[in-house]
Amino acid sequence: MHIEIGYRPAQAMASVSLEAGESIRAEAGAMVGMSTNIRMQTGATGGLLKGLKRSFGGESFFQNTFTAEEGPGEVLLAHALCGDILSLDMPEQGLFIQSSSYIASAEAVDVQTKLGGFKSFFGGEGLFVLYATATKAAQILIGAFGGVEELACDGSLVIDTGHLVAWDATLDYSVGKSADGWLSSFFSGEGLVCHFRGQGRIWIQTRNPQEFGHAVGRLLPARER
Amino acid sequence: MRYELLDKPDFGMVKVAFEAPGEQLVVESQAMVARDSGVDMSTHMRGGWMAAAKRKVLGGESLFQNTFTATAPGQALWLAPNAEGDVLALELDGGSDIMLHSGAFLAASPSVSLDTKWGGAKGFFSGTGFFLLKCNGTGSLFFNSCGGIHPVDIGPAGYICDTSHVVGFTSGLNYNVTKVGGLKSLFLGGEGLVCRFQGRGRLWISTRNANALASFVHPFRKVRNKG
Repeated sequence: MHIEIGYRPAQAMASVSLEAGESIRAEAGAMVGMSTNIRMQTGATGGLLKGLKRSFGGESFFQNTFTAEEGPGEVLLAHALCGDILSLDMPEQGLFIQSSSYIASAEAVDVQTKLGGFKSFFGGEGLFVLYATATKAAQILIGAFGGVEELACDGSLVIDTGHLVAWDATLDYSVGKSADGWLSSFFSGEGLVCHFRGQGRIWIQTRNPQEFGHAVGRLLPARER
Repeated sequence: MRYELLDKPDFGMVKVAFEAPGEQLVVESQAMVARDSGVDMSTHMRGGWMAAAKRKVLGGESLFQNTFTATAPGQALWLAPNAEGDVLALELDGGSDIMLHSGAFLAASPSVSLDTKWGGAKGFFSGTGFFLLKCNGTGSLFFNSCGGIHPVDIGPAGYICDTSHVVGFTSGLNYNVTKVGGLKSLFLGGEGLVCRFQGRGRLWISTRNANALASFVHPFRKVRNKG
């Protein structure tokens, strides 16, 4: 599998070249174009229960598997919103991914929804988390809204949940309020943040999709329920 | 006429430099950003009102187009599309025609003719209003899209593209609109319908589409209770 990302950063699209017989699994709706010898199969990855769990995670319940048949082929994948795409080699300990940032992964990557209970629920801003692991070298595609920056966490770091994209599973994380009191947390406009502890990489997006949605949505005429 | 494409690919803009008085460019309404004050502008329904109405209703282009005419050498004109994304320029030599998806047209030399074509009955189901603007003749053609524009040279094997990502293609290509995968994929796979291209030629694909952006923003609208 060979992945090239073009039109960076704002209009990024991934061209995935597959060898004969190779597959990539992608979020429903991510396919822009493909060769005619690619077979697309829709399935609830990992069975129905796992699929249901994934739909709680904000990731589409069904995923599409693209397989090159009778020779090599290509698949073009992109996100709906403007922004950059990261192609990461799966680290040994795995990755946590903000669910709406996930685009696609090689077949060797196992993606599970973390039902973090209240911890994630209070993350608001759709902080449902996917946990990706791979048993061999494999790549994963992650999309950002806006640009993407890699931060190094050495000890501890605080990140706004709406700007989180992915992080090394070596890090401990907990979601909490941004200031000491609930009142000042609320009025600071910073809402909820993710506290990280340990050593590892964190990828953030330079824009917050929810904030963007609110900024534009309130300018539009009301919709019927 | 010379031109430069600026701010590619995120926020493409065209800077045109006219070389001789009398040189003209036909421009989609509202696309002018700036011009030298000596450049004349006239507004009209190109090809008469029937042709213009057809372009408007079927092709998604505006009813009126503006023609800019240079009155002296060296005058400049700046053009930009409404959506965030790229602009491409082509020199048509009278050979292959260019089919553009509705809304992709930005500007053309007056010697380039524009005609709206019905995209086929199957296109109706694609939900994207699959009408095409057929551009032929000789001269420059500028078109744009939401997102970046990715060219694909199609050989005997053909190519598949999501209907909402088609920007344009050369007339050597034929397409039909089909579903991809089984029925389950159509309803659950989120990929909807695709265009299956055959023949030889070049296809331009956009990396984003406005429908997806609108769908993202929609849930953020205020809700009005019925009654």
